[in-house]
Amino acid sequence: MSRAKEPSARTAPRRARTWRDYRGYLYVLPALAVYLTFAVLPALHTAYLSLFEWDGVTLGSWVGLGNYREVFADPALRGSVVNALVLIVFFAFLPILAGLAMTGLLARHRRRGMGVYRLLFMLPQVVPLVAVGVTWRWLYGDDGLINETLGGIGLGGWARAWLGDFDWALVAVGLVGTWVLSGLCMMLFLSGVQKIDPQLYEAARLDGAGPVREFVSVTLPQLRGELAVALTVTTVAALASFDIVYVTTGGGPGEETTVPGLLVYRLAFSDGKVGLASALGVLLSLLILVIVYIVNRLSRPETPERSLRPGSAVRSRS
Amino acid sequence: MRRRTGKGVLREGARMGRRRTTTYAALLCALLLLTACSALTPGNAADPDRPRTVPSSTAVPRGEGDITLRLTFADAPAMVDALVAAFHKKHPRITIEPRYTQFADYVKSIKLTMASDTAPDLAQFAVGMDDIAARGDILDLAPYRDAYGWRKKFPAASLDQLTGSGRRASSGRRLYGVPAGLSMTGIYYNKALARKAGITRPPRTLAEFGRQLAAVKRAGMTPLGVGALDSGGLHLWAALVNNAMPPKAYRNWVKGTAGATIETPRTLAATRKLVEWSRKGYFNESANGTTQTDTTAQFARGESVFLINGNWAAGQLSEAMGKDAGFFLLPGERPGARAVSSGFSVSYAISSRTKHPQAAGAFLDFLGSRQAAKIVSDNGFLPPDESAVPVPEGVLGEVARAHRRVTADNGMNHFPDFTAPNMLDPLRAGVQKLIAGRTTPEAYLDSLQDVWQDRYGGGS
Amino acid sequence: MNTASRAERWTGQALLAVLAIAVVIPFLSVFLASMQPSGEPVVGMSWPERWSLDNYRQAWTVAGFSELMRSSLLIAVGVVPASLVLAGLAGYALGTMRLPGGDGVAALFVAGLTIPVELIVVPLYFDLRGVGLTDSYLGVILVEIALFMPFGVFWMRTHFRTTPAALVEAARIDGASSWTILTRVLLPLARPSLTTLGVLVFMWSWNQFLLVLVLMQDAAKRTAPAGLGFFVGQNNTDVPMLAAGTILVMLPITIVYLLFQRSFVSGLLRGAFKG
Repeated sequence: MSRAKEPSARTAPRRARTWRDYRGYLYVLPALAVYLTFAVLPALHTAYLSLFEWDGVTLGSWVGLGNYREVFADPALRGSVVNALVLIVFFAFLPILAGLAMTGLLARHRRRGMGVYRLLFMLPQVVPLVAVGVTWRWLYGDDGLINETLGGIGLGGWARAWLGDFDWALVAVGLVGTWVLSGLCMMLFLSGVQKIDPQLYEAARLDGAGPVREFVSVTLPQLRGELAVALTVTTVAALASFDIVYVTTGGGPGEETTVPGLLVYRLAFSDGKVGLASALGVLLSLLILVIVYIVNRLSRPETPERSLRPGSAVRSRS
Repeated sequence: MRRRTGKGVLREGARMGRRRTTTYAALLCALLLLTACSALTPGNAADPDRPRTVPSSTAVPRGEGDITLRLTFADAPAMVDALVAAFHKKHPRITIEPRYTQFADYVKSIKLTMASDTAPDLAQFAVGMDDIAARGDILDLAPYRDAYGWRKKFPAASLDQLTGSGRRASSGRRLYGVPAGLSMTGIYYNKALARKAGITRPPRTLAEFGRQLAAVKRAGMTPLGVGALDSGGLHLWAALVNNAMPPKAYRNWVKGTAGATIETPRTLAATRKLVEWSRKGYFNESANGTTQTDTTAQFARGESVFLINGNWAAGQLSEAMGKDAGFFLLPGERPGARAVSSGFSVSYAISSRTKHPQAAGAFLDFLGSRQAAKIVSDNGFLPPDESAVPVPEGVLGEVARAHRRVTADNGMNHFPDFTAPNMLDPLRAGVQKLIAGRTTPEAYLDSLQDVWQDRYGGGS
Repeated sequence: MNTASRAERWTGQALLAVLAIAVVIPFLSVFLASMQPSGEPVVGMSWPERWSLDNYRQAWTVAGFSELMRSSLLIAVGVVPASLVLAGLAGYALGTMRLPGGDGVAALFVAGLTIPVELIVVPLYFDLRGVGLTDSYLGVILVEIALFMPFGVFWMRTHFRTTPAALVEAARIDGASSWTILTRVLLPLARPSLTTLGVLVFMWSWNQFLLVLVLMQDAAKRTAPAGLGFFVGQNNTDVPMLAAGTILVMLPITIVYLLFQRSFVSGLLRGAFKG
């Protein structure tokens, strides 16, 4: 079944609506009720609280957009947003580059044993980020594997407490994200490549395209959908990166690795600045929304007919 | 031709979003109105009808049947269990149900917990308790202090830490908690390694300590272990400041007395000392990336000669190092200066919503008993009444003796983070920056004073 | 496609192997650490001299990981079936029926796909505390159901829209009610989609951290990841025991992943994510 074949609600001949038309909502209602009560309402409540100065206990006072002004004015709060943006480099750009590089190398021939690799590469994405963070905390530690390895290969001078180093802490946290998300991006692109029509490659080769041109002119454009998904998933992961930061650095050293999520938690529940925390939460969500919107805008195919909606495969076959 | 299937999660959203923006917007507006009506201004004002102080009578009313008190706390579960059991033996009618929360969460939630209608009867005193007292959510215990004679049972300094802060602190007439175990920070040292560096006794002046650090460094060992990833750095800074600043001026600052400031020439000099030590490489190389517990473990393994930490580490170090472990207070500038340190007590307050203030009072009074002191000491804390237990052997004994000196000199100060609930992060992050040379002592003190100003509002 | 050069083939193979090692090493190092004698400092990655499960026993009983895991499981068991039922029903109606305003409702759900926990956690704490749903499994379960609902509804709606319309039409002509159509005709076909949704929701529920951190102040009711985060925050020096705890926390979700790998991979590769 496809939407295109059936008359949409707007073009259907007008007739009086009866309760029968609405009966289907009985199926939707339970999901809608839970969703509205425990997700939508709290989100709106956050927006509302962001207009108050409130310590969580005593009577709050209305400050309008004062909290938003403070987010932009306070260097620590602004810094947390900047840190989150820097993390995008490690959570989004590096994994996507790694994924594309692997795809370029592996796309042209099928190989056996991919199933095992796939299983392995997705594993970091599956296990709790808290466990991942704890693991990397040890790897980055004074006597951790990374320092030991550096010492072992004669680079002992490079050894340091990575997570406590003002220059390296954010990089170290970011690389954990790279580790988590690279496998996902890789698998995403490789599975996307499998679906590309082989004729496109054959045509390109007839034109005398080498591996690089083939990649740029066939693979990349065809992977637009996967790129959008990867960019969205990884960017959201970077901006809402609470778990890893909480267990690895707690925001330190100094404020080098504070991220908005950490500050929302800290401001609301230990500093008694619920309004400010709410404002930061709202801004973070807006940032995510804008980025997701831009990514999807850019990746949309030019012709609507090629729109890759779910179900398009079924339709084309029937 | 093969087509790709579903990766339309987001694209789908965008498509539908476009089509039905209006419906969606209308729905949102309706919901917004709904919240606006029901929520109004968040929070509620304090209830003026609730009692602000304990009743004058300490006698637990008879004939009420059994009484159950709920206790919420964050430190030393084993000690609390033992105290509660011993108390129940003495007062079979009163049962206490302890509920443990880890400290970091405890501090975050205690304000809200005590403000709720289901607040527990007893609560461990923590950062932010002063706000709770100001709101009237915990009771002023002054009548019990006089009726039970607590001034004789508990050291003056620890009761003084529990009298509230800000404008309310001035008189010292009020009392909001009673201490069970006490804590204190200082310097541990490895006697065997110190001898190798030619150090045979604890330093008597700050300058001598500086020379000892230099000697250790020359001997090729790590002088001082600082766990600056969490609280180790601020403990060291507080120890330096406590020796530099007159106790009264420091306490006024922690308590928010009008006009108090941390930006004095003496604190600046103390802060510079910390920076100087860091620059000279006296700290463990990755101080900023190491927790207190980790530095303690490293110290126990002989990886540093000195260690800044609190009495809570004494038991572990005594066990791991035996006679090699020693303890001293960071010395002042002159020999024989007043013995000072930072510390706080594991103390308990009574909720103003309790139905059994007398029973709760009886428990607090029990904390001052010899029996309680024994339990506290057994669990590695310093009992309020030190004469109640014999001085232990080894490093535990050195800690206990140091504590007596501090008590005798009235030199016990609050931890600096007690200034405000949001002071811990500027302190921790600030000392990290000092150690890494990322901020100046002036800017650091300025940032602390900003937080102070924010809370106690232009004291000038 | 055999035109790839030998060198290219080998580079690819070698790169794959290197990356696989990079993925495995962190896991391996935690595993090896968990096998070291309890309480010992762990340096780098070293082969234990004597293998023992003592740390696991310790973590399970003394450190209370058994309770943490039970809490996690309890919450997941509450969240997964409810999510499947609610999302299935809503997806069915929104995907196969012509509901007035149905697309608007669907858009409302989809709009929630990018809601980060950070946006809702603050008022949730205050609101739920007011009605006694903090420190309660029910509270966390309800919020998680709501949090995962956008994806669930979207996923099931997509599924039901791809089922042939003729099937539904034929049943309707036979006089079947919408409920009968769902249970007799569509549900058997929906099993793969439901399985994928189920394992994804299980994963999100198991891994949820911030929400539990805030809503569960009672340490006894914490979930496994939240408990682990705390142990680390508490600066426990017993690295081998904590390593064992870390492995324990990862184990259930890893087993589910291995059992349902097909569902997982298909879900994740279709961009299933929860911000």
